[in-house]
Amino acid sequence: MDTIIDRAPIKLPPESNCIEYTSKILQLLAGTFEKRRDSLVLDVGPVCNENIEFFARRVKRLYVCDIFARLDRAHRKGLKPDYVWRHLDYAPRSFDAINLWDLLEHLDDHDAKRLAEICCDMLKPNGLLSATAFEKKAAPREISSFVTGEAFRLSLRPQPRLDLPWYYRHNRALISLLTPLSVVKIFGSRIGIREFLFRHE
Amino acid sequence: MFKQNRKTENDLKKNVENDSRTEPATVSKTTAGDSFSHGAIHSSEGEKTIIGEKITIEGSIRGTGNLVIEGTMKGIVDMEKHNFAVGSKGRVEGEIRAHDVAISGLLHGKVRALGKVEITKDADFYGEIKANSISIEDGAYFKGQIELDREPHVKKMPAVKQMTETESKRSQVASITPVEAGKGK
Repeated sequence: MDTIIDRAPIKLPPESNCIEYTSKILQLLAGTFEKRRDSLVLDVGPVCNENIEFFARRVKRLYVCDIFARLDRAHRKGLKPDYVWRHLDYAPRSFDAINLWDLLEHLDDHDAKRLAEICCDMLKPNGLLSATAFEKKAAPREISSFVTGEAFRLSLRPQPRLDLPWYYRHNRALISLLTPLSVVKIFGSRIGIREFLFRHE
Repeated sequence: MFKQNRKTENDLKKNVENDSRTEPATVSKTTAGDSFSHGAIHSSEGEKTIIGEKITIEGSIRGTGNLVIEGTMKGIVDMEKHNFAVGSKGRVEGEIRAHDVAISGLLHGKVRALGKVEITKDADFYGEIKANSISIEDGAYFKGQIELDREPHVKKMPAVKQMTETESKRSQVASITPVEAGKGK
């Protein structure tokens, strides 16, 4: 698999945290939730009030399980991410959509594949999974959460408390990790953020 | 859906059934203006009761005043028109029904707030929240399900279509920007 692994986060000028772009995936998800008002959605964190407000106002029920915080705790204790997956103890076919944000970027191939399997299991048929990844040059120097603002504008907010490894992947590598799912859309922004939308057939 | 939650509910039922065994608790009262130490919480009139750090309560609490738990509590809190808070050292397991709810400590269970739920960065929450609005600080340790009052007007947005496999592949190729496609990924 053509994966480049960056253990150390890449240095960027401070203004990189001011990155802001309009998320096309969020627009698509919002449109989908508007059509189906009974959607159940899982957000894997990091906990972000703006995102919770955005989704919880649009879906029947929003589930939040901050995997970033749990991975961070496991990482600090020297435990493997396998230890964290037990928190994703939701019943099979529970969700209409799962937002992974950039979680895959903090997992090696083995753990990313394991997460993909778990997500497949938790997604309903036709369920959607969204993920985000940075272009290598645009990778921030510290972990940030994506923050949903007005009109689907996403910005980054640093999460200095999180200390996780960073794994950069090309599109093809990332898609192959999520093989059981089919790609619906990929968007690349000029500021170096890639958005992916997958569907569980 | 939460395995652990079912366990909590059972524990809760047991606790309620065993109300008669509830040990008497020492509480201290202050006025509401004092230090309902959780900032933006709705300020309703009346007294505030603090369950201190060294106090453990099992059972149900009903009342017409604000309540702060700094100790340990297992059971049901029902105070619809008043505010409830779990202080930074508080540990609560159970079902909470209040106007505004603020959580700075540990809360495992169900929260039904007619107003706002506020969770600070030091909180550890596991359970369900139904509220009019919510505020969660970055850093809060959170696992739960959230139901908020819906937005009355949401703009019409394009939805993801149900696509066949062929359509999906076509869409994938079409949506990759030329720059990315040029990289031969």
